[in-house]
Amino acid sequence: MFFASGINGALGRAFLLVGIIGSLFGAIAAITSARQRDQAVAKLIPRFAVLVFAASFGAFAVMERAMITRDFSLEYVQKVGSYSTPAIYNFAAVWSALEGSILMWVLILAGYTLGVTYWLRKKMDDVLSRYALGVMFIVSLFFFLLSFGPANPFAVGPEGVLDGPGPNPLLQNHLLVMFHPPLLYLGYVGMTVPFAFAIAALITGRLGEGWLLATRRWTLFAWGFLTIGIILGSWWSYEVLGWSGVWAWDPVENASLLPWITATAYIHSVLVQERRGMLRVWNLSLLVATFSLTILGTFLTRSGVVNSVHAFSQSAIGPWLLAFFAVIVIVSVGLIGWRGDRLHSPGSIDSPLSREGAFLANNVLFAVFAFVVLLGTVFPLVVEALQSRTIVVGEPFFDQLTIPIGITMLTIMAIAPVLPWRKASQELLSKRLFWPAWCGVLALAGSVWVGATGLAPLLTFGLGGFAAGSALRQVVLATRRQGLRGLVGRANGGMIVHLGVIIIAVALAASNSFTHSQELNLEAGKVASFSGHTFELVDVVEVKTDRATAVKALVKIDGGKAYAPAITKYVLQGMNVGTPSVKTGFAYDIYLTLEPPVRQDENKARIKVFIKPLLLWLWIGGGLMALGTVLAAFPGRRRKPTSPTSEDDFVADLLVML
Amino acid sequence: MKTKTVQNKWSWLLLCLSAVALLAFGSTRDSGPRTQADRIDAITKVLACPTCSGESVYVSRASGAESIRAEVARQIAGGQRSDDEIIAYIEARFGSRVLLVPRSTGLDSLIWVLPVFVLVCAVGTLGFAFRRWKVVGSDSISDEDAQLVERALREDR
Repeated sequence: MFFASGINGALGRAFLLVGIIGSLFGAIAAITSARQRDQAVAKLIPRFAVLVFAASFGAFAVMERAMITRDFSLEYVQKVGSYSTPAIYNFAAVWSALEGSILMWVLILAGYTLGVTYWLRKKMDDVLSRYALGVMFIVSLFFFLLSFGPANPFAVGPEGVLDGPGPNPLLQNHLLVMFHPPLLYLGYVGMTVPFAFAIAALITGRLGEGWLLATRRWTLFAWGFLTIGIILGSWWSYEVLGWSGVWAWDPVENASLLPWITATAYIHSVLVQERRGMLRVWNLSLLVATFSLTILGTFLTRSGVVNSVHAFSQSAIGPWLLAFFAVIVIVSVGLIGWRGDRLHSPGSIDSPLSREGAFLANNVLFAVFAFVVLLGTVFPLVVEALQSRTIVVGEPFFDQLTIPIGITMLTIMAIAPVLPWRKASQELLSKRLFWPAWCGVLALAGSVWVGATGLAPLLTFGLGGFAAGSALRQVVLATRRQGLRGLVGRANGGMIVHLGVIIIAVALAASNSFTHSQELNLEAGKVASFSGHTFELVDVVEVKTDRATAVKALVKIDGGKAYAPAITKYVLQGMNVGTPSVKTGFAYDIYLTLEPPVRQDENKARIKVFIKPLLLWLWIGGGLMALGTVLAAFPGRRRKPTSPTSEDDFVADLLVML
Repeated sequence: MKTKTVQNKWSWLLLCLSAVALLAFGSTRDSGPRTQADRIDAITKVLACPTCSGESVYVSRASGAESIRAEVARQIAGGQRSDDEIIAYIEARFGSRVLLVPRSTGLDSLIWVLPVFVLVCAVGTLGFAFRRWKVVGSDSISDEDAQLVERALREDR
């Protein structure tokens, strides 16, 4: 070996130390140069940003190197490394437990700091830029310290360990583990950027709309990745966990959803501020909430206070994260209070039936949504603290409260896109909503015709059709007016995102409400049938590798291709992992799992069949959301400064009348 | 124009009526008898797996969940008890920690009350804000401003 054993640990720690020093001096340089308007010191900021990024990259690379060379002198490699892990999962094993995932956080945060520094390279004279970078450096200092101290991935483990168990079996049987965590973190950590600018705006007192417009794309970027990360997580759950579901309201899932909810609320309400200069305190609060919820979520799920399938083992980072969360909240609230006089906005909203009124209603719903998710996640802790008994808050609670919220949101999504700013007349609404509303009735009739039942799913389908009609109306009008340019820009891209959200809502309602399942005891040579399909067992095979033994049941669906649900026993962990096999279709998926106990008998198998309507559309909707986000990030049609704000409404009206 | 509005009114009425009729028909019609598998799914969705935190018996593949699922299946196959009775039976056998839905009594009821409270407060605040804005925002436009806008519009064309 090139390096002696133990060098990885020392090198990694050294990189982290450099990162700590770089962040500290970066923060000092940024803040002193901002306070004293010192150009010479400000010139140092980019160097520190490069240094910090290089340090984090170095630390991450050393960790990868230790993992790839199976350096079992490190405790972390002893925990998640193994000679029997395939290369690709071994690479991903770096972020398969707490210490490594904090290291990834450090790397991504340093990347964002460098990116923002580069983006600000010509605006470094601006005090606001310096303060924002100061905040970024302080946050990275905290995470470097976390990685250096309580979540140290380079700790030296007991001697004499020659091999380890490898990562959790669930994290080594699907490729998505390569993508879901990094993309989710890109979103999660990216929320630091708008937060840093919000704090900088508060410190400098320049609370106009300039910084909002400037950070719009950063927020959109982070939001887009958070969205993709969450959807990939659902996909992973569907493809790997074998209960045929995509979302379990697990605390870690909730922790990723919470900042998504507040960020989504922000993306909408910021438009009111840009247009009308209102809601300043509210928007700042949403940004602070989004960032602090990423910290709180990490605290809840990574410190061992809440158990979940995602939770890593207990660790000492809890108090650190909680303290950091407290500091963020106190400093932010303090700053907002201190700047209270400048945050007062002069405008007023004339009518609830206006674009800004709809955004407010949307924000109320998102706030209640976030509250419900947060309450459901932390409530067991409260009960345990007060009455020392355990209760479980699970899916039924979240479903009962979030389904009405979702349906109300669809209603707003149906009406809001056609509303003009300031005020809408009844006539205007009746004209603009006419065809979208008929789309809704059509969707409702269609779903009744195919046999859908139940009030909530039917409302979802009907309102989904209505909202899709409104979104399509906007897209059609914009493309008629501007050709392909009518697809880009915030409003138009936003409508594409809406279409994605609607498709997801419909797919969730359909797959949650109309899933059928049946256990089948299959015997070779006999054909069983369920829900209009036949299932025939071809063979039960055993595949042995040195890390696992898989039992696969080959099942022919409708006499066609054979699908192979499996149960894999991971030798080192002594853990059985079921792997489903899915026949995907536009109308419904057929989802097969092999049920325990696995008999060694080659002509018998007990399988469970799930029929999941419209599930594929969940991923299609997710793709559409991602596409819409990209389109929204492109600059749209620019308004001339003198152009009256309702010009596009005027043209739209003309087109409708024609 | 006048006739068009009237027409519109009638077609909106038609639209609302058909939506309500479709909803009423769709949500009340009988979707056929529930199969045993449907009943097992419905019951196991509100039961918590005793060994893994937070997951329902429906979701979990742990052995503790498997045994509850088997018990539920046995009860349903027996055909004696209703869904609620089976849930009560499982609770009596495995303890109250297997209930996935928080109770609506005592401290636990807060989880149901608080969201409603927050919603009412939020909507109330919003309503209050709109009322205040209505008072503040009713100032009229001065002639000078109107002319300014007029000029700007002309230049833009």
